[in-house]
Amino acid sequence: MNYARITKDGLWDNNIVFAQILGMCPTMAVTGSATNGLGMGLATTAVLVASNAMVSMVRNVVTPDVRIPVYIVLIATLVTLVDVSLNAWAHDLYKVLGLYIALIVANCAVLGRAEAYAQKVGMLPAAMDGLMMGLGFTFALTLIGGIREVIGGGTLFANAHLLLGPAFAFLETTVIPDYRGYLLFILPPGGFLVLGFLLAGKRILDKRLAQRRVTPVATPEPVAG
Amino acid sequence: MISLTHAPHAHAPMAVGQIMATVMLALVPATLYGFWLYGWPALFLWSVAMATALLTEAASLFLQGRAAKPALLDGSAALTAWLLAVSLPPFAPWWVAAIGSAFAIVIAKQVFGGLGQNVFNPAMAARVMLLISFPVEMTMWAAPLPITSGHAPGFLQSLAITFGGADWANPADGMASASLLGHVKTEFTRGVDLASSLPAHFAAVQGGLMDAAWGNRAGSLGESAGLLLLAGGLFLIVRGVITWHAPVAMLLGVAAPALLAHALSPAHYLGVLPHLLSGGLMLAAFFIATDPVTSPNTPAGMFVFGLLCGLLAWIIRTWGGYPEGVAFAVMLMNSLAPIIDRYVKPRIYGRDRKGKSLQLEAKENAR
Amino acid sequence: MKLEQLREKLGYPGAVLGGIGLLTSGALALADRATLDDIQAAQDLDMKQSLTQVLPGKYENDLLKDTVVMPGPEGGVTVYRARQAGRVVAVVFKVQARGYAGPVVSMMGVDRDGKLLGVRVIKHRETPGLGDKIEPAKSEWIHGFEGRSLGNPVAEKFAVKKDGGVFDQFAGATITPRAVVKSVKGGLAFFAKEKPQLLDEPLVGAGRVRDSGGSRARPAPTANHGASL
Repeated sequence: MNYARITKDGLWDNNIVFAQILGMCPTMAVTGSATNGLGMGLATTAVLVASNAMVSMVRNVVTPDVRIPVYIVLIATLVTLVDVSLNAWAHDLYKVLGLYIALIVANCAVLGRAEAYAQKVGMLPAAMDGLMMGLGFTFALTLIGGIREVIGGGTLFANAHLLLGPAFAFLETTVIPDYRGYLLFILPPGGFLVLGFLLAGKRILDKRLAQRRVTPVATPEPVAG
Repeated sequence: MISLTHAPHAHAPMAVGQIMATVMLALVPATLYGFWLYGWPALFLWSVAMATALLTEAASLFLQGRAAKPALLDGSAALTAWLLAVSLPPFAPWWVAAIGSAFAIVIAKQVFGGLGQNVFNPAMAARVMLLISFPVEMTMWAAPLPITSGHAPGFLQSLAITFGGADWANPADGMASASLLGHVKTEFTRGVDLASSLPAHFAAVQGGLMDAAWGNRAGSLGESAGLLLLAGGLFLIVRGVITWHAPVAMLLGVAAPALLAHALSPAHYLGVLPHLLSGGLMLAAFFIATDPVTSPNTPAGMFVFGLLCGLLAWIIRTWGGYPEGVAFAVMLMNSLAPIIDRYVKPRIYGRDRKGKSLQLEAKENAR
Repeated sequence: MKLEQLREKLGYPGAVLGGIGLLTSGALALADRATLDDIQAAQDLDMKQSLTQVLPGKYENDLLKDTVVMPGPEGGVTVYRARQAGRVVAVVFKVQARGYAGPVVSMMGVDRDGKLLGVRVIKHRETPGLGDKIEPAKSEWIHGFEGRSLGNPVAEKFAVKKDGGVFDQFAGATITPRAVVKSVKGGLAFFAKEKPQLLDEPLVGAGRVRDSGGSRARPAPTANHGASL
């Protein structure tokens, strides 16, 4: 298995948000701040790794006609486990994310990975795919959340200590002091706007990269550079 | 590049630039009256909106690698900025106009592909964005203090209001006021009905309903000069730039439910005249709902479009969280315009209304 | 039998689905058992924290165990009692009023003389950046209630400034603070009316709340306001 390929796919080329455009519901709902995006991303990653591994594990046992209900039952169970664990052992974070944890079940990216990848390969690559897809999702959510938070409220990673513990309180920065706030970006329309511009940005970047790769380097670089 | 197509060719009586120029001409009286009523800050705000729109339009076109000059000269960006400027609170800070104008041009227009491609009316999209984002600045209305009256802020004070963030809303200065719809909505939430809140409002602005009708009232430039906008709209109809369908239907869409509800319970529902002359209704009916890009294509479609715009505006004003709903109503209907077009189709040349080809060949054969 | 042959059987898919369902239900049951106590503890801690925020003084009992449910304006109101030497020194209860975007629920602490010890908004959906200044993290506003009571300020001044009262409103948002002020005022009236029961000191043979207020040598205005509201 080509783990470099899996990594690159998950983080960038086939990123859940920026390339597959899946999981839009949590993407829009929780990205009001970088911390919320990070928390939701990490929770989804945990579910993705476990669900991919389990789907891969049962792939020889399950028949095609019952595979969807089986995957859904597995995913729903995992999400419920994450839900009760957070509620019990990370209660402050649960108060922030609680509403959205249950939504991971409905995140089509999780079932999507099970269908598109995990049911076809061994446990290790499947888990790796879950991890990388999850990290790519986390990256996207944190980026969108960060942009919305800075423009909308002038802060970055506010309340990070609730998510990562007091040691990470240093992350909490006020980017623009005495900022009056740009409410649109905290509210749902801001999520759509930021996502739209990021999608366009990724396309432009990918196009540039592709052009650079195609351009033959026949002429030697000038010596002075 | 010249593209040739088969007949039939439709003849456009005016070029885009000419249409835009005519619409701007129709806006001039209302705008000049607004400048007189609200003084320098209104003029500054208008200029900021205009300059930002032209700059961002040029920048967007440059980034897309398109020629900026023809697009700037057709006046569409300037008209968008103009419409936005006359819908803003006249004493709003400069950055409200700048952000609004940039949003209208970049996000509401150029992102969709530029002139003729946008789904939503750019000026209204920007106004809604501003209202949601900056509710404090967007709901602080200035009292009409004509520039000749002596109470108006001077030139330097006006600079401070628009560009310096001066706090002019101090009640002691007498410059702040409430718009009629805003006042009524606030009083309703306190449980004060119209029977007491309306007289209090008119006592505060020192005038009656008729005085307000002539424009001596707090609001945006477009709200205060409602009758001049009506005149401008009639001028556009006479010149053939717009048709009567959308404006008449939109005014009707507000007036009809207002008449009915006011007759049933005068203490809880505003009457027809305050509704028609308040907020952005006149501006929207004649200058926004008639935007050819974001409205349906047929006269019947325009009528339906206008009627629903008006009805939605009345519903939002009456039961919504915001005192004024015209901008929301127009945007909602913008998104429905393609569906209206689906049901109220223009007749295709050579076919009947149902899309069947006319039986010309059969006749010829028979002959 | 090999797996290949087994898969051909008619009942196989059903059995797989059933088996996996059974396994996952088992896992969930175990997880539920394992987390039940911790979740309860976390919720209790949560509740205690919000209770102590509006109860700055000392008390000796476990608030969560010393409660009384009273009929309030919107259904039953759970009242938590703080005691010192067996005597109720303060009570805490929830009040709510309609804000701009839904109900605003507050927790308020009242000492036995009807004086506000503190108010905290615990649930709201007000506009971020405008109405959310009722949160202590965003603004000092909510602390303005401390030390107030039904007579201080007098009933008609117990309102936001826009309505002729003493409490500030926020620029651009009047409805939210108005809702909080209204709910707190209602809560104080509720306390005044139900005082003997809330303090767990029903007077023997006292038929009416108002009588008990008078006989307890409390300043009369409290009882009067309670009656008038």
